[in-house]
Parts: sequence; structure tokens; C-alpha cells
Amino acid sequence: MSERLLEVTDLRTTFRTVTGSVPAVGGVSFDLKANETLGIVGESGSGKTVLARTIMGLQPRTNVEVTGSVLLNGHQVVGASERTMRTMWATEVAMVFQDPMTSLNPVMRIGRQIDETLRVRLGMDRRAAHDRALELLTMVGIPSAQSRYRAYPTELSGGMRQRVVIATALACSPKLLIADEPTTGLDVTIQAQILNLLDSLKQQLSMSVILITHDLGVVATRASRIIVMYAGRIVEMGDTRDIFYHHRMPYTRALLESSPKVTNTPHTRLAVIPGRPPNLSTPHPGCPFAPRCAYATERCHVEAPTLVAASAPGHRFACWNPLTETDHPEAR
Amino acid sequence: MSDERRPLLKVRDLTVTFGKGAHAVSAVAGVSFDIYEGETLGLVGESGCGKSTTGKALMKILTPSSGTVELDGVDITHQRGRALRHARTRMQMIFQDPISSLNPRRRVRGIVAEPLDAWKTVTGEQRDRLVDELLNQVGIDPEVYGDRYARQFSGGQCQRISIARALAMRPQFLICDEVVSALDVSVQAQILNLLEDLKAEYGLTLLFIAHDLAVVKNISDRVAVMYLGRIGEIGPSEVLYEAPAHPYTKFLLGAALEADPESATTGAVLEGEPPSPLDPPSGCRFRSRCPYATERCAIEEPVLTEVAPGHQVACHFPFIAQ
Amino acid sequence: MSDLLDQSPEIEPLREQRLGPLFWICVGWLSLNVLGAIFANVLPLVNPLYQNYNAINAGPSLHHLFGTDDLGRDILSRVVFGSRVSLAVGSGAMLIGFGIGMPLGMLAAYRRGRLDTILTAVMYVLLAFPAIIAVIAVISFWTPRTLFKIIVVIGLASVPLVYRVIRSATLAVATKDYVTAAKVQGSTDRRILFRELLPNIAPIAVSFLLIGVATVVTLEGALAFLGLSVNPPTPSWGNMINESRTVMAQNPWLVIFPSLALCLFLLCLNFIGDRLRSYFDVTEVKL
Repeated sequence: MSERLLEVTDLRTTFRTVTGSVPAVGGVSFDLKANETLGIVGESGSGKTVLARTIMGLQPRTNVEVTGSVLLNGHQVVGASERTMRTMWATEVAMVFQDPMTSLNPVMRIGRQIDETLRVRLGMDRRAAHDRALELLTMVGIPSAQSRYRAYPTELSGGMRQRVVIATALACSPKLLIADEPTTGLDVTIQAQILNLLDSLKQQLSMSVILITHDLGVVATRASRIIVMYAGRIVEMGDTRDIFYHHRMPYTRALLESSPKVTNTPHTRLAVIPGRPPNLSTPHPGCPFAPRCAYATERCHVEAPTLVAASAPGHRFACWNPLTETDHPEAR
Repeated sequence: MSDERRPLLKVRDLTVTFGKGAHAVSAVAGVSFDIYEGETLGLVGESGCGKSTTGKALMKILTPSSGTVELDGVDITHQRGRALRHARTRMQMIFQDPISSLNPRRRVRGIVAEPLDAWKTVTGEQRDRLVDELLNQVGIDPEVYGDRYARQFSGGQCQRISIARALAMRPQFLICDEVVSALDVSVQAQILNLLEDLKAEYGLTLLFIAHDLAVVKNISDRVAVMYLGRIGEIGPSEVLYEAPAHPYTKFLLGAALEADPESATTGAVLEGEPPSPLDPPSGCRFRSRCPYATERCAIEEPVLTEVAPGHQVACHFPFIAQ
Repeated sequence: MSDLLDQSPEIEPLREQRLGPLFWICVGWLSLNVLGAIFANVLPLVNPLYQNYNAINAGPSLHHLFGTDDLGRDILSRVVFGSRVSLAVGSGAMLIGFGIGMPLGMLAAYRRGRLDTILTAVMYVLLAFPAIIAVIAVISFWTPRTLFKIIVVIGLASVPLVYRVIRSATLAVATKDYVTAAKVQGSTDRRILFRELLPNIAPIAVSFLLIGVATVVTLEGALAFLGLSVNPPTPSWGNMINESRTVMAQNPWLVIFPSLALCLFLLCLNFIGDRLRSYFDVTEVKL
């Protein structure tokens, strides 16, 4: 159970652009156990998508520098050739992207898109692949899979398309599924359906899931652990309950408090984080959140904090002036 | 608090139809509601329910095929030309996509001044002063950013500039169409607070269209829930969120994700997807997904009926606390 | 209100995008061409029609930098004077093409509805007709051929092309929210067309204009080659190439110089047009 499926150590992804180098992921370390759901939360530009693509080995070789180590089920991803990665994609790790329309080929029937993966990767024959594809479509909850098998992606609704994408990703039973904002852009009721589906598939296929999102609501009840990212770094990580109720990093708190809640009374004044996330191409020596942080001191602007352990096991945060436990009125 | 208030906007039987003949789709199919002076009405629903179309029809960006819209007692449905242009200055709209709302080839001051220049209400130095004042109010420093091009700004800043532009003509009524859904959480909170402040300062009446239930609850006095071109339920926000009377509202609220690990996830999930508006179900439009639907729902179309003061539901079998 | 201020210190700087030296070389060459055409009379050039029987089919020399033709006329002088025809046809025809096609295209895309349907149908019918053959037919029968007539015919033939490009460019802009916003603010249609739409389609229009000029200059060359352009002895690049094709072996200068002038001219136009298009492309700058 505690077997480590994924070990990421000091991972850095740096883009070289005309205007200089951009450290999109700046030294990230974490691990993931088998059959665990890990939530990665951050705003746009926090590096969460770049992190996911780096773990997938999807970064282009030119103008991107990746250092550190990503051990996926014992295989090193950093520096692996595309040929090596091909043997891991689909069977070891698969990804579900935000926009289902761009990850499906619009001129190919959806059944064939799944068939193809099965035949190429698992060497199935036409008959077997067809049957398995139908099985997968049924498994992801597509009604009358037999007739939808011959449909084109454009003929399906957004929710149905995302189900097809999930079916494609699961075709070769990967051990790790990375879902990058899988429900952004879907309606509330459909979002609930897809998240439930991912949950039940995870149990059924005993795989691990990394759920990447900007919405704390998505991971609150689905992830066992959460990583909060800001400006390409992990600023806090820990068990879901610790992140929500015992967070120590002011950014985590600000993120939680600035999102409106259904339980708020109308015209509740929202807590606001002033300013915007930093521009990564101009290097900052200190804590990336310092310019927006209410608790920032002199030290925060000059010296970057590293992750230190909090009282709960596995709970770590990067802050010079962490919130104390008593700062949590909602702590239960 | 609701009874003596004067309705600023009266919408009656508003219908917007796209296409003709067999391909006609009623994106909005007979919607009636009032918006009282000084309140914020939230309009929620899933994509394709017609909430944005309703907003655009109120502004007459889309022409309603039937029904009336009355602003301050004046029917604006059939106005054209200059009269329409004039009526529009009393109502304004802010759009979802902050980037495409601003002309990338114009400078910030020019964008905000556009309505003033179009109407020539204020000119010269007075105009410049007003523009800078508006920019200050939305938190954009005119000295620093006033002469930048719109394309140089982030989503949140663009939305601020859009708001400044909308307020230039001092409208009474502001339609916000998904104005925060493209923004990050922290920026979203900034914009929501800004809207609340400006609403108080300008005495605005707001129609806030959004799909995010938490956002709508936070800003609205009353909320209307739309499904497939119809209003299913309308009522004071707290009543509607505490005790939804329409099954759809209940499911919608049940599906809303709360940023709390202890919130219940076991709530019943609404199965299936909204049917195509090309071929809506007979009777109640929600019946094809409603677990409580009976034969009556297929035959008879429910109309909005008052279940409590100010709380109306279009359902044959509403949940009413006895 | 302090928490509402957008205090972000830095703002995305516009990425400095340079046009590059090659662009300016092209601009320089084109200006030289234009100036040469305008001031051809004042320049210290031999009369292009003067026939010097002492120097027939001469190669390049100090007296005749580009050599002379079979009638002893100075090729340099004829190339410079010949550019007048090419430039006049190119700019004149595009003036007509854009003068008619651009307002129609913008209006159709902005107004949509019946106006758009009818105009687009008409334009597509015209487009379906092979323009070059139409031009040849009209010019062959509309005698005597003058420069003016050629400009008018080519200009009219280019209207549907301009219309189509401008219409689709405008369509892309007209559906943007800022156009709706302007409408909602009570801006008049004229303000919207000039303030919101025009600046955004201008880059596309300019680059298409340059490429259009290049195409028309080539077309004039082709017509001249068929003997359907301005009547000799008036020189044009096209008819110089046409006349010299029989003596190509004996006097290669006669065909090389006008061809070179034509090629460089077109190359510069195309390069500038392409460069401007990517320079002004807002989305390319942004991302």
C-alpha cells in the first residue's frame, strides 16, 4: 500500500525565451503512493500544468531545460528519449487534458481512436480491440455505447467528450492518471458526474490519480493529499484536512478565503489578495508571495523559505512567518 | 423589504428564437421577471440554458422574437435608432471574456472615453478628468496605465477597464455576463468586491449572470434559476439556497463543490445531460431528468407560482416546508 | 478601497519586435523605384525613345550602363521609364480595387443580413469567372488601349478578391465583444466602423494591398508579354521583356535588366507585406 509509484525530486523546468529564462517549475519534490489521489492546486501561472507535462515527459526538447528526477514506477522520466517514453505512455501513465475537444481527433470516429491505442500498444486484433473499446465506453458511463462508437467527437456534448477522453486514457490500464483541470469548462452537474466517475474508476482499476485544478472545491473531498503551488514552487503540502483546517502558509489561507462559498450570506465581503502572481521571467530572491503577503517581513523579500515540517506527519510549508494553529477559527 | 420597491426592469414573456422553421430553437422561451431598483438579481443555470441570451436580449444585442422589456416604465422592446441608442446608455453590459472586450489597438483612456465621445456629453478637459476619475475608481492608475494599449493588460485588469467604460455614462442598470468566470480565484474576489463598491456608489441595479452558484449567492439579493430557456425558480438568495423548492435547483446546489473536506459528497447527482433545445420535452422541460416526474409533468406545463412571499417556483410538486 | 487597487508593480512589456534590416533594405529599394519613376524626367537619363544608331545592341558600358537595344535605345533609361507603367498600373488598380472592395467588404461583414448575402453572392459569381481571361478579353476589344483603361479593368477585376479578404478579416473582428460593447454604449455605426473595426483590419489590408500591387504588376507584365498592355514604343517592363525575347541570344542585357527590375520589385513588395503582417499580428506578439 505504501509502495511509491511516483517520486519527484528537485524537479526544475526552465523555458528559454527571447526575453530570458522562465523557471516555470522551480525545484519541486513530492511522492505519490499507489492508489492515492493527490490534488495539485494553484492559480494560472503557478506551474501546475507545466509540472504535469514534465512528469508525463511531454516537454519539448528544444528551449526547455529539465533537471532533477522523476521516478515513475522505477523508470526515470527526466532525460528519457521519446522512444522510451512511448513505452510508458498509456501503460504506465496517461493524461486527461482540460479541453476534451483538442485531445480528440475531430475527423476520426471515437471508437476508432480508442481501438487504435489498443491495437498499437497492446497488440490486440481488430475484433478484440473493438470489444474492449465498447467495454471502456460503457465503463465510463456512455449510454448506448454501441451507437456512440461510430460518432464523431463534435457530435457529443462536452461531458460526453470528456468521458471519451477518460476512456482513451484508461485503455491500457495505466498505473497513474494525471487529470489536468478535467472539469473546468463543464457544467456543475456534469462536473460532479465526471469527478464521481474518476473516483469510482480509481477504485475499480486501483490506479493513482493526480488531480490538477485551480478550484479548491474540486479536490476538497476527492484528494487524500494536496499540494499548493505558487509561482512554480510548492508552498504547502499535506493531508487534505491539514491543508484546509491547519494551513500554515498565508497564501493557502488567502486562496481559501478569497473563494466565495455557497454558505456565505449575500454581500459577504471577500478577503482579497492584492495584486497578481509574479512574472517569473524577472527573478525574485525572496518568497514569491512576499509582495502580496500581509505578513511579509524584511526577510521574506530577500531570502526564499524552504519547505519545513509542521506538526502533522507529511504536512510541510514554506514560510518564514507561518500562521499559528490558533489563527484558524474554523479548525475543528 | 421587497414589496414597496419599484421594479426598474420589467421583463414579460421574453422569447428569443434562433433559426427558422424546423430548425427554430427557442434559447429563451417565455421568461418573465422583475428587477427592483437597487437590487442584484443573480441568474444561474448550466450552459445552454439561455441565461446569456436573456442578458443580450435585454440589451437588445439580440432581438427578442416576442415579449416586452420595460425599463423604468418605458417599453424598449420596439425602440430603434437613436431612441434605442439612448436607452442603451441607461443600461450597460460587461462581458465574460476580458481580453476580447477591449479593442487591442486602442489605449485605455480612449476605450473608457469612447461612450463619452460617442455622445459628446462631456468634452475637453472635463472629459479627461472624468476618464481619469473612472479609472481611479476601478483601481487602474491613469497616470501609469492610461496610455497603454489594452493588449498589455492581464484578464483582471481588462475587466476593471471594461467596468470603467460601462460606468462612463452613469447607467442605472448593469448586466454582468459571467464577468469573473475567466479569472483566477484571487482576482475574482477583487472584481466581486469592486462591483459591490461601485454598486453602492453609483446606486446601480445589477443583473448578475453566472454559472458559479457560490459567486451568485455572494453577490445577489435574489436569484433566478434557468433551465432550458425557462425560469424554474426565483426567490430571495438565502431562501432559495437554504430551501430550494424546485428539484433542479436542489440538484444544482447538491452538485456545487464546496471547498471543505467535510462537505457531503454523497448528495444525489443529477444523471444525464440537458436535452437539446431543438426538441425540448413536452410539459415541464426538466421532466426528462427529474426523478420525481409523473405523467402530469409530461402533459401540463408548470407555471411560476408563489410558494412564499417573493419565492416563485415552476413545478407541479415543489418541495415546500410544511 | 485600498484592497481594490491593482497594485501589481510590473506590467507585461510589449515584446520588442523588430522589423529587421532586410525589411528596411526592401523599403529602400522600393522607395528608389518610386522616386525613379516620379523623377524620371529630371534624372540625367537619355530619352528612352531616342534611337542611337551608333550603338545598337551594345553591351553595358560607361555610356550605357545597361547597354542598348536593337534600335540603339538606352536600356537603363527604358527600365526607369518603364517602371512608371508598372507602378501606375499597380497602385492605380489597387486604389480602385480597395476603394470599392474594402468599404463593401467591411459593411457586408458588419451589417450581415441581406446586404451581406447579396453582395457575397455577386462577388463569388465574379470570382468564379477567370479574372485573367476576362481582363484579356475586355482589353483586347476595348481599343485603343490606354494606360487608364488597363488600370480600370484590372482594378475592377480585383474588387471581388479584395472584398473577400476584407470581409473575412472584418468578420473575425466584428464578432468580438468590444464591438458589441461599443454598440451597447450607443456608438454610431460609423464610429464603430472607423474606430473599432478599421484599426484592427488595417494590418491585413495593408499587407494584402502590397501583395495585390505585386500581383497586378505581374499581370501587367503578362499582358504586355501578350502585347495587350500600353502600345510600344512607350516602355514598360513587360513589353521590354516581350520585345527582347527574339534577340535573347544576341543581346541578353535586353531581357535581363527589365526582368531583374521586375523580380526585385515583386520580391520587395512580397517580403514587406509578409513582414508587416506578422509584425502587426497582435496575437503573435501577445503569445
